Amino acid sequence: MVKRHSPEETKVAMHGVVAEMYDKMVKGEPPSMTLPVRTKNNIGFDAKLGVYKYGKKRSTRDATSLGSAKQLLRTLHVVEFIEQMIDAGKSSTLREMYYISESWGMGKFGTQNDSNNLAEDLEIVTKCLREDFKLRPEEDGARMIGNLTLRERNRRGEWMRINARDDVGDSGYGLPYNVEEEKIELLEHDIDFIMAIETGGMFDRLVENGFDEDYRCGLLHLKGQPARSTRRIMKRMSEEWDVPIIVFLDGDPWSFRIFASIAYGAIKTAHISEYLATPSASYLGITSDDIVAYELPSDDLSKKDIEALNAELTDPRFADTWWQDQINMMLDLGLKAEQQSLAKYGLDFVTDTYLPEKLKELGLA
Amino acid sequence: MGIAQKLADKQKQVAISEFFEKNKHFLGFDSLARSLITAVKESVDNSLDACEEARMLPTLKIQINKIDAKKDIIEMKTTDNGPGIPQKSVEKVFGQLLFGSRFHAIRQSRGQQGIGITGVVMYCQLTTGRPTHVRSKIATEPTASVVDIGLDTRKNKATKSNAGREIWEDENGELVEHGLEVTCRMKAKYQKGRQSVWQYLRMTSIVNPHADITFIDPEGEVHHWPRVTERLPRIVESIKPHPRGIHLGQLQRMCNESQDSRMTVFLRGNFSGVSSRSAKELCEASEISEKTKPKGLKSDQIRSLLEAMQGEKTIAGKPVKLLKPPTNCLSPIEEMLIKKGLSKTIDSRFISTMTRVPSVTNGNPYQVEVGLIFGGSMAADKHVEVLRFANRVPLMYQQGGCLLTKAIEAVNWRQYGLEQAGGKGLPKGPAAILVHLASTNVQFTSEAKEALADNAEVMEEARKAIMEMGRGLKKHLMKKKKMAKTQEKFELINDILPAIAEKSAQILDRPIPDLAGSITKIMSAVISETQTTWNKETKMTDVSVVLFNYTSRARSYTILCTWPEKFGATLENNEMGGRKEATGVWAWKLATLDPGERITLSYSLGGLEKGDWTETDVFYRGSQEVIGASKMDEKFLDEIRQQEKALKEAGMDIIETRDTGSLLDFEGDEDESSDAEPSEAIPTDAEPTEVVLDEFDQPTVEAPEGQSTLFGGGN
Repeated sequence: MVKRHSPEETKVAMHGVVAEMYDKMVKGEPPSMTLPVRTKNNIGFDAKLGVYKYGKKRSTRDATSLGSAKQLLRTLHVVEFIEQMIDAGKSSTLREMYYISESWGMGKFGTQNDSNNLAEDLEIVTKCLREDFKLRPEEDGARMIGNLTLRERNRRGEWMRINARDDVGDSGYGLPYNVEEEKIELLEHDIDFIMAIETGGMFDRLVENGFDEDYRCGLLHLKGQPARSTRRIMKRMSEEWDVPIIVFLDGDPWSFRIFASIAYGAIKTAHISEYLATPSASYLGITSDDIVAYELPSDDLSKKDIEALNAELTDPRFADTWWQDQINMMLDLGLKAEQQSLAKYGLDFVTDTYLPEKLKELGLA
Repeated sequence: MGIAQKLADKQKQVAISEFFEKNKHFLGFDSLARSLITAVKESVDNSLDACEEARMLPTLKIQINKIDAKKDIIEMKTTDNGPGIPQKSVEKVFGQLLFGSRFHAIRQSRGQQGIGITGVVMYCQLTTGRPTHVRSKIATEPTASVVDIGLDTRKNKATKSNAGREIWEDENGELVEHGLEVTCRMKAKYQKGRQSVWQYLRMTSIVNPHADITFIDPEGEVHHWPRVTERLPRIVESIKPHPRGIHLGQLQRMCNESQDSRMTVFLRGNFSGVSSRSAKELCEASEISEKTKPKGLKSDQIRSLLEAMQGEKTIAGKPVKLLKPPTNCLSPIEEMLIKKGLSKTIDSRFISTMTRVPSVTNGNPYQVEVGLIFGGSMAADKHVEVLRFANRVPLMYQQGGCLLTKAIEAVNWRQYGLEQAGGKGLPKGPAAILVHLASTNVQFTSEAKEALADNAEVMEEARKAIMEMGRGLKKHLMKKKKMAKTQEKFELINDILPAIAEKSAQILDRPIPDLAGSITKIMSAVISETQTTWNKETKMTDVSVVLFNYTSRARSYTILCTWPEKFGATLENNEMGGRKEATGVWAWKLATLDPGERITLSYSLGGLEKGDWTETDVFYRGSQEVIGASKMDEKFLDEIRQQEKALKEAGMDIIETRDTGSLLDFEGDEDESSDAEPSEAIPTDAEPTEVVLDEFDQPTVEAPEGQSTLFGGGN
């Protein structure tokens, strides 16, 4: 189970990683670090947690190749850097760490992606969270609108009570990157469900059309592939308020992946799936059926789209028949459609016709 | 003057300008741009030929000036340090059509046909009305002769004016000892790029590494291609016809004109490639008595003889064994010099060259040479540069239609590591490919003499040579990959691993661990690093081989290195001794190497010039693989030794001998060579070693990885 670590616990956990390398060298072996394999071939459904977690496959990163050896050296630099931040009571963004690595000589990062991956590696082997490491993401969190009330501790350490309908403008309430209890408390709500929306255009359409009031719901803008904090807040609202999460995305292979990361857990963060994923979330649309049923304006699938769909067919998270049908149908159609293609029938079509019909199917309207 | 004479003269007058107009294509004056290249080419060819014949190292200077840009008037000035031309011959050389004696000789020469420098004089006269200014100084006279040579288009004769003598000083004010300077003006265009004076001179310098060439372009920029060898091309000899290339008419004429008393003497004395044994066999195969007088042969006997010569009439089902025609009528550039020529003009990382043994097509000896230069600053996404040469003359036009280009295109380059769309056509990559055909009779597709005509045998030779080179390239690329990998491992254990040890110890506040065990586990190999570098101070090539034992057991090896023994190099500062394994292969038995130990083997090579030897192939004998060296193929060594033995029996010394030629189709006969008079079928002043060597086969076992250099110098 994911739990937060105190600074001391975090240091001890990190020292465990360093000690593995050190002890190997003392024994006359190449230093190494053991990690779970982070691909779709090594994720499996955890019945107890109801989400997908890494399986038993482990890979050893040892210093027998130059690339791996450099990766180990970087890990040591990152550990040292985190210790320094913990001691100094500071935090940094992943991007800042990437630039700080410029002074690490042979241990410097090649790309920003390297530093992101390494932070995740460390999370996985130490079972700590990024937050324990004092590292924060670059991406900003989602926005929300609707009749729900929460408390956020501001920079001065004071709690502020915010109603995401009455106390915000049209752009809604912006979530901070840290949505843990020390920062945000969920107080009360008067909604029946939360609708998570992929694109800003559709979010704004529903806001303008007053959909949140008409259908007693909270609207949440995912901003594409949702950030960790976005997935975490959905998880908390679902658990603490017991409201259904309805996901409304484009109808393409990438949307399917977004949904999987919300509901089942993302491959990259499978070590903390139970902390981020909301197994009760439902996919509303756009489905492959919708493209046909609503005769939506569509685009041909690209080569990359087809590759992604084929990869999804063998992804354990999409193993059920409903998803297999949807994916196969999209492949047969050779088409994909955007959320906003519903505007073919006018600006109000989505709120007056499409969403009510789809919500009825889900038993929510 | 009679009317007939007048008419004839008039006809002649028309002829000279018409002649030019009609034939400007094959004379090389068909466009303004090409005219300039042709003028430079004719002048440079003359200079190089003159220096070669006088055994002098040529220093050439070519200057192009734009006189009138609007009217495309250009001045060309070429200067050489050759023997000069005696005053009375200047007029002949520059003014007379087809002057010279090269036309009918059977040997390789630069300007085989054509009208040479006379054409330039004519072209200048016709386009600008100006004569060509010639300054010539011969060593035996105190002053230089100067003269303006023009053409009287009316009389079709050379005209001379302003003849005189003067003191010739060079730009430093020093007296010029001998040389020739030609200054002329013509209508022409100076261009840059693939078909330019610059490219022509660059190519010329590649195949004439003994020449020092300076080019000053119209913008005043100085391009200099320095001399990279003091070795002059060898003197080419005229040869007697080879039986395989003879025609009936020629054979009849030779028989009729013969004064010889018996067939065997006739055959041995008038043909190349005929030993006394093969003379007897030719008689036997054609059923002619050895004692017959050639003059008395009947026509059906001559026909029989021809059939025997061409292998149609046989003895016991086998054609008569003939030696190859001598190849001293050819002047290949030779591998080491091609390498130098290429590397002075193109910046690169790798050069592989290959001079095939001479062969014969239709009785004409020919020889294919190829060179490939790879890497460095050349563009990786473009087609490779093709450098074509026939008898050391650059071919710059009609690339697509040329046999030499087709030979490159017929090779599947993808297997050798170059890109090639569809596996045929010109490959792409950072490379230049040189192909040189030396032959006594180069066949062109047209009078323009810019593309070689198709010939299946020559094509196959060229293709084989190119493929051999391709294999060299592949080997190089693989070696490079391997070296990069080794390099990475060294970086790992020398830099990264100690950093890991230090940092982890620091974080955990523990002592820095000893890394010997980890290093052995990480490398788990024996690794060798070889360096071959030119030492400026000692003027020697220093070679060092370092062997590291990164395994957990003691190892012992014999290390073998290639060195250019047959090019006259000497082993110096060889403190570890060792012994000669075979020609060009030296071996050292090393002391046992304990785990974690290293040993350095070093020596120097004397008697070489810079760039002669840049890469040493290292082999090992021992059970554990050595990364960075190849396992010795003993069979291959045996072959070299056998060849040596054969040479020793024949009283030959392998050193200084370049021609490791084989007999190819013509099988050798060892008994013959040692007792008989080899000079009979061979021009008298040839170095005998070069010819007799032809009778020894090259090893038939294919060279193991990394070993082609045993016969071809370093690569």
